[in-house]
Amino acid sequence: MRRVPAAVAVLPACMIIVALFGGALVGAVRTSLEPGPAGLAGEVSLDAWRAILTDPAFLDSLLFTSWITLASTAISMIVAVGLAHLIRGRRRALWALFGLPVPVPHLLVAVVVVLWIGPAGVVDRLAGALPFELIRDRAGLGIMLVYVLKEAPFLTLLIVAVWGPEVRAREEAAATMGAGPLQRLRWVVWPRIAAPLSFGSLIVAAFVFGSFEVPLVVGPTYPKTLAVLALDAARTSELDGQARSASILLVTAAVTIVCALLLVRRARADE
Amino acid sequence: MGAGGAQIASRMLACRELVVVRGDIPVLRGLDLEVRAGSLTTLVGPSGAGKTTLLRAVLGLEPVRSGTISIGERNLDGVSTHRRGIGMVFQEPRLFPNLSVADNVAFPLRVAGVSRASRLQRGPLLLEDVGLAGFSERRTDSLSGGEQQRVALARALCGEPEILLLDEPLASVDPNLRADLRRLVKELHFGRGLTTLYVTHDLQEAAELGDDIALMLDGRIEQHGPARELFARPSSERAARFLGAVNVVPVRVVAGTAHGEGFSFDATGPDGDAVFVIRPEHVRLTGDDGLRAQVEEAVYMGTHVRVRLRRTNLVLTAHVPAQRPIALGAEVGVDLPKEHLWRLPETSSRSSRSPG
Repeated sequence: MRRVPAAVAVLPACMIIVALFGGALVGAVRTSLEPGPAGLAGEVSLDAWRAILTDPAFLDSLLFTSWITLASTAISMIVAVGLAHLIRGRRRALWALFGLPVPVPHLLVAVVVVLWIGPAGVVDRLAGALPFELIRDRAGLGIMLVYVLKEAPFLTLLIVAVWGPEVRAREEAAATMGAGPLQRLRWVVWPRIAAPLSFGSLIVAAFVFGSFEVPLVVGPTYPKTLAVLALDAARTSELDGQARSASILLVTAAVTIVCALLLVRRARADE
Repeated sequence: MGAGGAQIASRMLACRELVVVRGDIPVLRGLDLEVRAGSLTTLVGPSGAGKTTLLRAVLGLEPVRSGTISIGERNLDGVSTHRRGIGMVFQEPRLFPNLSVADNVAFPLRVAGVSRASRLQRGPLLLEDVGLAGFSERRTDSLSGGEQQRVALARALCGEPEILLLDEPLASVDPNLRADLRRLVKELHFGRGLTTLYVTHDLQEAAELGDDIALMLDGRIEQHGPARELFARPSSERAARFLGAVNVVPVRVVAGTAHGEGFSFDATGPDGDAVFVIRPEHVRLTGDDGLRAQVEEAVYMGTHVRVRLRRTNLVLTAHVPAQRPIALGAEVGVDLPKEHLWRLPETSSRSSRSPG
């Protein structure tokens, strides 16, 4: 059978991405360049960009979002490797159990978290007040908790799919050569799981960086994440609100695209 | 031995009353085995006998329900696999595809924290020992099955283990390359003074390699001793059959003569029912002399013809020269040379032939 060239094989996926994501980006760029209250209709203006880049709330939001993203993704990765280690080689039914949170909407998990660990929530009622605040806390711990609950199982499934009998056989071989558990993880398992974990983590990071539901439900009122800041800007009655919202979202998209490109470059270098 | 080799002090590997249970099924049933210090012992047995399980138990990869494993004076109870100091070559090479050939070989040194510079020196020396000089920078997936097993062997030796275990390492290697690799295993074993336990189901390989052969049946060591003794004097009917002595001749011994169905021969040992075994290559077809039997089957085997003979309930197999014409259905004379007949020990012949 003739092999389909790689470029042709990825064409349908590229077309969907260009149509959905590219179209939205073009729309966002156009909106972000709309003139502010003092401008004339049809004029191209950088007012919205100027407004967000000089707004301290935007910088705080960018840092906060980056922190939430990095911390949630890193914790999810570590938890996922641990979980994958526990369930590898076990029955598929167990995998399915661990995969249950994946299709549950983030918003639902966030609401459940609020019900459980929020003030006067189930945990409060059963065990008294928690020694720390997780809902609307300034460090964003509640947001991270929701993301880890949601994303760690997703990453676990990606890892466990490649952490199969072949890798386990090599782990055994490494053990007979004196490699302890951490050495086996570093030199035998990691080279196999690095690619799916990295790309899965990029998906997680991109989602965390750009989504608004969870921070809206469990996040602090200040600083807000970029997505929440953009949502607030879009909902204000100010005339440049839409443009500022589009600018913020474009920053979000740009950061995500740059991260993805860096990861792809790194992966190519590793090949 | 090349420059990569180093002589180490040999130690004995001993397993005592080893029990391994998988699920509810006992795999090793009170197994006792001693592998002499500095010996190359081959472990043979049919599939499912527990050979691989035994190696895995020795490595600490299989939980042991009871019994002990020791190397020299050192008891291995509770010792993790990576601290046992036992080298292993698995049936599949299990090389690390992300590392070059030299890095694979030097993996035990990397684990031990040896500097990259030293590793770069030692890896190629070991590769030279296994006949792969110049392969250092190659990718593992560019090697043939035999070359990959050589790399696995070099890698297992790199950490200078006290004991070397090999689990059918040549099973996936081309038959015409196996002799070379067997020779290599032997050279490395003697060159380094290792204590080696080599698992195989190939009797020829076991005889060629082993100072001693341990025959494993149903999770126990059925017989253990020098190769010649095992082949000539099997301890039971099952051992005899596995070792190729498929001719089982039940007789009654009376006053130094064994009486079968219409034949007799001189026999030693006490009077009573007895079982003798004889290897097919020792059964001779004669013209008109000896025991009369009918040729039931004659199969050309390349180097010889395998002939199945029947005399009422007695079925015998003989290996005769390939050029000798054998007519199906013909009645021939059969000679069972006295010096090749082996009387099975009383208890084993009784127990192995008792119903149920």
